[in-house]
Amino acid sequence: MSRRYRQWVKEYQDQAWTVARYILKDAQEAEDATQDAFVKLWNNRDKIDPERVKPWLMKVTRNGCLDRLRRRRDNVEFDESHMAGVVSGPMQGLAANEVGVWLKRAIAGLKEPYRSLVVLRDVNQHSYEEVAGMLELNLAQVKTYLHRARKQLREQLAEVRP
Amino acid sequence: MKKYDEKWEDRINALLDGELSDTDAEALKSEASDDRLLARAIIEAYQLQQAMDAVHVERAPASLRKRLNAVPREQNAESRTGFTPRLFQPRWVMALVAVPLAIIAVNLMQPDTPSTAEIAKAPQDLAIAFAYLDRAGSITGREIESNVGHTMADAISGSVNRTIKFSNEHSKEKEV
Repeated sequence: MSRRYRQWVKEYQDQAWTVARYILKDAQEAEDATQDAFVKLWNNRDKIDPERVKPWLMKVTRNGCLDRLRRRRDNVEFDESHMAGVVSGPMQGLAANEVGVWLKRAIAGLKEPYRSLVVLRDVNQHSYEEVAGMLELNLAQVKTYLHRARKQLREQLAEVRP
Repeated sequence: MKKYDEKWEDRINALLDGELSDTDAEALKSEASDDRLLARAIIEAYQLQQAMDAVHVERAPASLRKRLNAVPREQNAESRTGFTPRLFQPRWVMALVAVPLAIIAVNLMQPDTPSTAEIAKAPQDLAIAFAYLDRAGSITGREIESNVGHTMADAISGSVNRTIKFSNEHSKEKEV
């Protein structure tokens, strides 16, 4: 069982971390939230259908992050100081790419559920059906919200691009 | 120039997601050639998609990977230290106290019925008891007589002896 868990860690740790990172905008808290999700995965390992581990884990990670957000009452929009950590942290590879860095900020600045939708679908590349399951939305809702989110990003991008 | 149509969003996104058929994609592009706003929306959507290619899933930091791999060990250790021997669990302690109390209560609630041997021995015990009482009454009478006088002594010892006699006869009647 431990071997299977390790396999899950190997496969999904980056995706869960990415979700937590975008939602919480704080590396330390994102680590804690991701760990919490994996602790839940370990404790429920016998109850979860192995085929459904990925959507289950993404959903638990996101919900944990949103709970943390609610607790800290972080209604203040994206704090630039967090991006310093992003650039020098795991996102270092993108430091040279201005558009990439800008887009990360823009995604992190979206409201929920738009932010999660963009991260899960466009960054993590989950299918529409998987995203619908993770966010407990139907397919039409996923598409509608995602289109709105993309439109917002598109308009912001058009403003900063020459 | 047409007003921007929200319905375009579905078609633009379907185009980008590769969900539009070739015919529908061509129709949209041809429509865009006549509409500056639609054309601009499609271009911006492509630009966003290109920009999105630069945004990848982030690699979890080494510290997190270490923490995640330690989860089974930590959880197992936690469940071991959290173990309380069965006998020390509150419900078992309560049971250990309750059982002797229940046994004592049941014993106390049993009717006090004498055995046959006790019943057989009872008249003998009663006779001895009355003899003692008789003697005590006589001694008491003598004591009172020496202190108070004959009349008072008769009144008391006589009363005691009469009570003893009555009780003795009454118990004999009951036995019969």
